[in-house]
Amino acid sequence: MAIRHDQGIVLRSYPFGEADRVVVMLSPNKGKIRTVAKGVRKTKSRFGGRLEPFTHVDLVLYEGRNLDTITQVSVIEPFPKLRTDLDAVIAAGTMVEAADAVAQEEESSMRLFLLLHKGLRSLEAGQRSPDLITSFLLKLADVVGVAPALVDCASCGRVDDLHRFSFAGGGVICDRCRGEGAVRLRSGITEYLAALSTADFMELPGTSDVLAGEAMGIARRFVEYHLDRKLVSLAVME
Amino acid sequence: MFEGPVQRLIDELARLPGIGQKSAQRLAFHLLLVEEADARRLAAAIGDMRDQISLCERCFNVAAADECSICLDGRRDQSMVCVVERPQDIIVVERTQEYRGRYHVLGGALSPINGIGPGQLRFEELKSRLEPEGIAELIVATNPTIEGDATAMYMAREFKPLGVRVSRLASGLPVGGDLDYADELTIGRALIGRTEL
Repeated sequence: MAIRHDQGIVLRSYPFGEADRVVVMLSPNKGKIRTVAKGVRKTKSRFGGRLEPFTHVDLVLYEGRNLDTITQVSVIEPFPKLRTDLDAVIAAGTMVEAADAVAQEEESSMRLFLLLHKGLRSLEAGQRSPDLITSFLLKLADVVGVAPALVDCASCGRVDDLHRFSFAGGGVICDRCRGEGAVRLRSGITEYLAALSTADFMELPGTSDVLAGEAMGIARRFVEYHLDRKLVSLAVME
Repeated sequence: MFEGPVQRLIDELARLPGIGQKSAQRLAFHLLLVEEADARRLAAAIGDMRDQISLCERCFNVAAADECSICLDGRRDQSMVCVVERPQDIIVVERTQEYRGRYHVLGGALSPINGIGPGQLRFEELKSRLEPEGIAELIVATNPTIEGDATAMYMAREFKPLGVRVSRLASGLPVGGDLDYADELTIGRALIGRTEL
């Protein structure tokens, strides 16, 4: 058994035993890691608020047989503003939930880590556009290898008459290929999704509320289809 | 494996929080060796609790009647309500002997990550208490976690427009603690919430 150094973003934690918690984190090198924080539920715990969700921490871990035990934590980035705004908490919750769903244990996940880190950082910097979530989900799909086709037909590769979106088919499809379960898209949405899938989080293009709402709906349904589960954070306030 | 009834008790005890097979065994054999009356009293206490205790109709604290003893106490300040996550939290606040108002138990905290939204908590019940009881201030005493903070923010957004003062328990350094061991977030909040001497 050895001492190991690592870092990670706290995804979630759940009670374990009497006063402990299992803290699930996303580490850039080791993917999803499960660690035990002893005694954190007591007020006098020396870890205190460091292991709250969304915090980016530096860790010293004692390797155990199943779970590693945290022996030291220091905060790299606390993201304090995320906690003072309900919309930010929900947005950050969605990001963390989606990252949690796709992350694998014992698998390097630098791109996913950087994506999550960037997402949380732009929330902290005040980005509150709903497009942030849409953009995040599209990029997340790309990172895990299921990026939706947005500039050419997912089925035949044609670049015009792209008026429908097929969740099972993997993106937009042209009028000739119309697959089953495909939804009709409002005009302009294909281009908007394509723009969001590459836009910088702090410089999102912006559009009408209707278009933004529909874009978010498509991205969300697409990710939910491929994860085979609902994103509960987004559903909470509905 | 022990004789049927003994093993049954061990299995039941082992399901309690913080009790494993070994402790369950020790407790079971202890109960076998003590006076029969002592063991029966324990069994009766468990039964009575389940029979007689229900949730207070007003604040959802545990109660032996329709309303809990705090709600029934006429000397309590009715204009102030301390909002907590669980009934256990009421005892914690009560022990301070600093609070003379009533309570409201939400039954948890908002948790987007776990899919717990406002619909699953007792916000509507609290809203319907505002006018009849003349409530002027809500003290949010949820845990200082992401979930507790989210709950507090939601309450500020929902209840302030109704003309109620919404306040939050301060967070800061634990009494008897060491500044060296406190985390950045806690010290940051302690600074924001500092009091003048």
